[in-house]
Amino acid sequence: MILSRRDALKKMFKVVVAVGAANFFTFEDLLALENGKLTKPNIVWLHGSSCSGCSTSFLNIEDVSVVDILTKFTNMVYHPDISLATGHQVVDILDTCSKELKNDYLLVVEGSIPVKLPHACIMSDKPMIHWIEQMGKNATACLAAGTCAAFGGITAMEGMMTGTMALDKFLGYKNINKPVINLPNCPMKPEHLIYVIFHYAKFKTIPKLDREGRPVRFFSQTVHERCLYYSDFQEENFAKKIGEVGCMLKLGCQGPVTKNDCMVIGHNNNTNTCIKAGHPCIGCASKHFPRQIMMHTYNDKRAIIKFKNSYITGGKA
Amino acid sequence: MGTQKITIDPLSRIEGHLKFETKVENGVVIEAKCSADMFRGIEKALIGYDARVAQQVTQRVCGVCPYAHAEAASLALEMAMGIKPNHNGQLLRNLIVGAYQLQDHLLHFYILSALDFIDITAILQYQDDDDTIIALKNWVQSELKSNKIFPAAPFLPRYKALYAKDNNRNISAIKNYLEAIHVMADLTKAVAIFGGKAPHSVTIEAGGVTTIPTIEKLAKYRSLVKKTKNFITVNYLTDIVAVAKEFPEYFKMGQGYGHYLSYPYFPDENGENHMFVGGATIDGKYEELNLSHIFEDHQYSYYKDKPDSNIKPMSSTQLTPIDYEEFKEEHKKENGKYSWARAPRYKGEIMEVGPVARIVNTYKSGKNKKLIDLVDSVNAKLGITIENYNSVLGRHLCRALISSLIIDKLLEDIEKVIPDEVAFVEKDVPKNASGYGLTEATRGALAHWIQTDENGLIKNYDMIVPTTWNISPKDSKGTPGAVEKMLIGTKIKDPDNPIELARIVRSTDPCLACSVH
Repeated sequence: MILSRRDALKKMFKVVVAVGAANFFTFEDLLALENGKLTKPNIVWLHGSSCSGCSTSFLNIEDVSVVDILTKFTNMVYHPDISLATGHQVVDILDTCSKELKNDYLLVVEGSIPVKLPHACIMSDKPMIHWIEQMGKNATACLAAGTCAAFGGITAMEGMMTGTMALDKFLGYKNINKPVINLPNCPMKPEHLIYVIFHYAKFKTIPKLDREGRPVRFFSQTVHERCLYYSDFQEENFAKKIGEVGCMLKLGCQGPVTKNDCMVIGHNNNTNTCIKAGHPCIGCASKHFPRQIMMHTYNDKRAIIKFKNSYITGGKA
Repeated sequence: MGTQKITIDPLSRIEGHLKFETKVENGVVIEAKCSADMFRGIEKALIGYDARVAQQVTQRVCGVCPYAHAEAASLALEMAMGIKPNHNGQLLRNLIVGAYQLQDHLLHFYILSALDFIDITAILQYQDDDDTIIALKNWVQSELKSNKIFPAAPFLPRYKALYAKDNNRNISAIKNYLEAIHVMADLTKAVAIFGGKAPHSVTIEAGGVTTIPTIEKLAKYRSLVKKTKNFITVNYLTDIVAVAKEFPEYFKMGQGYGHYLSYPYFPDENGENHMFVGGATIDGKYEELNLSHIFEDHQYSYYKDKPDSNIKPMSSTQLTPIDYEEFKEEHKKENGKYSWARAPRYKGEIMEVGPVARIVNTYKSGKNKKLIDLVDSVNAKLGITIENYNSVLGRHLCRALISSLIIDKLLEDIEKVIPDEVAFVEKDVPKNASGYGLTEATRGALAHWIQTDENGLIKNYDMIVPTTWNISPKDSKGTPGAVEKMLIGTKIKDPDNPIELARIVRSTDPCLACSVH
């Protein structure tokens, strides 16, 4: 399926609509961005302590080819999985960029930054703390792509030895005062990133954020509040095992404690969500991800002891 | 020319942080060191978490092949529980895992590797009327005319080297590069239908898959996968053959030891009769799999512990990483530690894992006639033998062969699913139990081991992951790892643009987040 330019733009606009940017980003803006009347934002993407899941998620953004995004709407100066640049060329790009494009690029960081064991993440013989500091202090704004960069996520789970920091913590620790946009979800939802990029392209500012640095647009409600089983929850119709229809709260669902827009924008171009796939929400966009116990059986006493004072006991606590 | 050092750091377009350093004498590599530059310590961190958490957390080992970790973790826990998925559970798992692996092979060839061979600048000579290609051509032209510091990024800069000369081949491959992105998106959608999302599908749990396969879901999956069939069986293979025609020498370059390890992969609905067999081929002889032959060595890995070449699975959580000062000391030493990866060995041998291992072991076992016929016919067409698979092009070719076998199997399996029937077997987490799970990730043999305590929480966990086998550093005998060996003997035309090395390392599809985790 090869798309014509017009089709590609139409599809792109569908994404603008899907990510909720249509109220400020018009089709004319899209054309202006494509023909250079609106400046394309420069983007530098770095991997900290990560799994590349957010990059893969970005590459697989449905409907719109990632190549369109790269060529028509942004200047992707460097991306570790897409750039042809290899070895010393990468170092050249980063060094040049932090001088020549000072305060004129968005830094996307995927993964967290190990501080206690700096050698737990090395690029070109220098620890990631060096690169994030260098690229962070010269960026216009920084985007924490995914839960690891936003909150630590898996890389900061109990028992990790690397002493890793989320992006905003790290920049604070280095006294770098730059706006940080947190886009938690494991992996990051590409729609969230695109929204921020469009917002930046149009207004040269970042969207409104909540206390956790997340765009209000996506993170103002919990998964639970918009869940398709919300009425089951109210009627106390709880699923007792996987496969049963009903609220999955008592099978370990983290929906009530996880702010995200999964029930509005599902995964993979709205193909599915975890809950629609019969699995309790695992809270992957939450600050507390991963929890000690996630999915469990209905009569799991351990969970009841463990989460005695929280939502799990009665559902209405 | 004398001796010189050629280093590529970082090697981009792979998963994670990888550096490699070679010593080159008269233009030929005589020594190679691969450094895995990232460490998280996920196994140790898992201790104390609920046994089911392993599935979700270990997927985050790797955002490129998370499905394989989900499967291995679930198999390990199922063994500990003493259960197996039911008919639908096994089939849905196959449908998720298979579609994901197809997507991943395309990602590796098109996004990560193809542009090391295919000339992207060929687009400037394009004269035909395909809108997308013209748009891309105009973009490249305007970028090159602009005064940007990095025009046409991320496609430039690149190594100055000899790329494919035939422009028709280049254009056709570039078209396929663009189309592959859509095909990959379709496949990830297919994964999400039963997996919930991709990457990091939640639904593969010990006991099966949590999704109910409604008629609507099955129909959607079928049509998405069918849509990609032509691309996978025709375009993908055509592009690999095109690269082979331009660069026939790469059927000889990047030769490793030729020892292959693989695990049983892609079972039928009963969890048996795997499409790809487990086993080992050592010195050309196939033998059945025996996990007790696996040991790890960490002489050159960043651990404080006394080097020991006899570490068995499930003891890696006892190792302690070195601190930053010790790390800097090691780097000053002539023969110091140089990688976070450990060095797993099978019967003391260095094994290559991945697509070639899957094909060669299954071929030699004689168990899959369809695979044998496919290999024989492709080899006859290309004028090569199975021995040539031990090469850069052999690895790419095997991925395409595997993909065409998998897509047929997926279309068979989808018809066997019983609509609307639960695909999940409910079971409490097992107390004081243990198990292991084996599968093939996109990149090769993957094993998980689990042990639980009296509360069903994780007491110990271990993973030996494909890239650890391939990217392993030297062991205490000083024998180079699998990829290190592939680099030795390689002729480098231009030390400033060592594309030969990049092509060889990328052919193994390294995944560094996996290799150390």
